[in-house]
Amino acid sequence: MEPNEVQAAMATAVEDVLETMCFLGVCASGQGIAPPDAGGSTPPDGAADARTLTAELRFEGNSAGAFRLSLPLSLAQTAGAGFLGLDEAAASDAQAAEVVCELANMICGSVLGRLEHSTIFRLSHPELIPTPPGPGHDALSNTRWFDTGEGVLSVSLSMQHEYAL
Amino acid sequence: MEIHVLIVDDSPAMRNFIRRVLDLSGLEVGRCLEASNGEEALRVLEDNWVDAVLTDINMPQMDGEELLRQMSSHSVLRSIPVLVVSTDRTEARIQKMLTLGAKGYVTKPFLPETLRDELVHSLGGSDGTE
Repeated sequence: MEPNEVQAAMATAVEDVLETMCFLGVCASGQGIAPPDAGGSTPPDGAADARTLTAELRFEGNSAGAFRLSLPLSLAQTAGAGFLGLDEAAASDAQAAEVVCELANMICGSVLGRLEHSTIFRLSHPELIPTPPGPGHDALSNTRWFDTGEGVLSVSLSMQHEYAL
Repeated sequence: MEIHVLIVDDSPAMRNFIRRVLDLSGLEVGRCLEASNGEEALRVLEDNWVDAVLTDINMPQMDGEELLRQMSSHSVLRSIPVLVVSTDRTEARIQKMLTLGAKGYVTKPFLPETLRDELVHSLGGSDGTE
């Protein structure tokens, strides 16, 4: 599978999930964990002290691997409010965490379905993990950032082929 | 006609989303029950009659596939239409669930009208709004 194919599937899946479920658009995206002008060592939204939520899940089928979604708490709260249909502009921390896990589940399922049409995958329950410390540290093999205008999120996917169950 | 539904999903956020979609769908939704996995769903169905079950697939304890299998082999529960709502969009999975007895399949993410239309279709085409 070509890296470009994975990157394209990630882009389509993220845009589809954010627009359909959270009413958030994507105004820019690219490879890597953050836009080049973010300096390469700051959290995705550029704020040095921003709290970031990271959800991870594992999958297995003909291929096995892991998927991560990372986004600043402020963006998670905005996405959560859209997802849950809240009147308030932002979801609570707990609601935001819940929605981030569900978004990770949907984006991962959507990416895998676009990459392997005839394989049945089993996805683990998404869990919040400590956010890896900066770009290049513990990043999964394919990583892409997305700027929503409300903040930047990143998704990462590693996939090992010909995995025997 | 008022319809009663059971939403089965391990994500509280997704159960909330589906409930909201149903509330805004124009369907006359009566009781909207919830369960977080297949086992819990079967317990709910022991005591409550519903017109349709909307279920995820990947869930702990008992997944949606096993729930569908058990409902299909049950003399009473087999008559309840099951609509699968899952992130899994692979053709192999969709065909498997339909073969096991699902009346419809919606992939996440979905538009509210898609869920509504599939639910109406699963119920036999009558949405109770006419």
